[in-house]
Amino acid sequence: MGSVSARRLAKELREIQSEGCPVGITLVDASDFSKWLFTIEVMGNSQYQGEAYTLQFRFDAQYPISSPAVQFVVTDGKEAPVHPHVYSNGHICASILGSEWSPVLSVIAVCVTLQSMLASCKKKERPADNDRYVRTAPDNPKKTLFHYDDDT
Amino acid sequence: MTQTPDPSLPPTPRAIRKPKELPLDSDTEDFNMDTDSELPPLHLPSASSLLTFSGNDELSDLTPAQLYEMNQQLMNDSVPTRPLIDAVAPMSTLRSEYENGSAAFLNEIDWLIANGYDSVRRTRGDGDCFYRSLGFAYVESFLSSLEKDFAVASSLSILSGTTEIVSRAGIEKMVYEDFYEQLVSLIQSVVTPDSHGLLLTSERLLAAFQEAEVSNSIVMYLRFLTAAQIRLHREDYEGFVVHPDTKEIMDVDSFCAQFVETMGKEADNVEIQALSSALHLNLDLAYLNGVRTSGVDFIPFRNDPDNMAKPLVLLYRPGHYDILVHNTR
Repeated sequence: MGSVSARRLAKELREIQSEGCPVGITLVDASDFSKWLFTIEVMGNSQYQGEAYTLQFRFDAQYPISSPAVQFVVTDGKEAPVHPHVYSNGHICASILGSEWSPVLSVIAVCVTLQSMLASCKKKERPADNDRYVRTAPDNPKKTLFHYDDDT
Repeated sequence: MTQTPDPSLPPTPRAIRKPKELPLDSDTEDFNMDTDSELPPLHLPSASSLLTFSGNDELSDLTPAQLYEMNQQLMNDSVPTRPLIDAVAPMSTLRSEYENGSAAFLNEIDWLIANGYDSVRRTRGDGDCFYRSLGFAYVESFLSSLEKDFAVASSLSILSGTTEIVSRAGIEKMVYEDFYEQLVSLIQSVVTPDSHGLLLTSERLLAAFQEAEVSNSIVMYLRFLTAAQIRLHREDYEGFVVHPDTKEIMDVDSFCAQFVETMGKEADNVEIQALSSALHLNLDLAYLNGVRTSGVDFIPFRNDPDNMAKPLVLLYRPGHYDILVHNTR
């Protein structure tokens, strides 16, 4: 683990511990600097009312220069939210996790972005190519070259 | 000696980036692509968009530009590439790579050699080459300074002020301080022994810039500073920040978030002006455009209060920056 990576994660963790997480986001496990787990709930009216999902972050020694590997946990009975940008294996197609990652972002900033991605969802459905992608997907979502179509 | 553009010649183009040309970076030279064909713009996402995967295992669906990007990505992932930044090499090594290509580039390279720019320090073509080249040349300038103590003290004072710029632009201390420390401690070690009791030498500077953690940290701080300078002086840059592929005018904040604060995104005129201004630097960009029939345009950026201060000199070929070395250095 690179020293910059460990220092930065230690600072992020201290901030989480002193200021708490935003509403709907809960830190579940951050016992080392390689993998953190959070739960995410969407507050207020949404397609995901009353549901909680577990989000996993994996960090390499180049964090925060390189992005964390982020996905929803789909083991131990947990499932990924049904969403047009979330595959059933938990992988997420979001530009900020790939080509538009910046060290300006933090673990909490990613959680908040994904929370609002769920909040703004109009229709619960999987990506059109879900089955094909999940059949061949690498273990680490960072190894997928997602193609982002601007649908804003 | 510094060449300035001949006033009788047409003005130097202000938009340096030429996206329709294949970057002439040696990392990509083996990749054949018809450079005359019009490349359709890449459909890049906006800062907040969250988008869908659309089967890019079907190569026939990809535009040439996407294929090119993917090719670069694959090479970066799988093939040992050139170091992040290399030792100084004779200009003839660069020249040999153009011998079967454009005569105009050869003429420009020969002109540089004839005018004393006989060496080049090459950087990896990873989209960070401008920041890495500039960072290296900046620190190296203190090593070769005749008044090291004064040069280092001035630089540290300017750098210390830049943290204010970065903070005011909204980047948290937690985010920038480790990157900032890497740059500052390297410059300090020009005159003050580091924690191992060592002063910086050319060899140690090269080793530091070849180590990903140090090198990328410095690139990242320079990116933050560039973005902050653009955001805080937005009235100077609004209307000039364009999407690198579509050339459409962008708003300053989206531009900074997508193309400046992100690793691997090339710098253009706006970023060069902003960074040289934030660091109070004089910089010359020797522009090999493959068009001039004689001579080479040197694009001047003058931001040192001492207008005559010796500029750092970078070599620009469409899509790539290296450090140009004069034989008097």
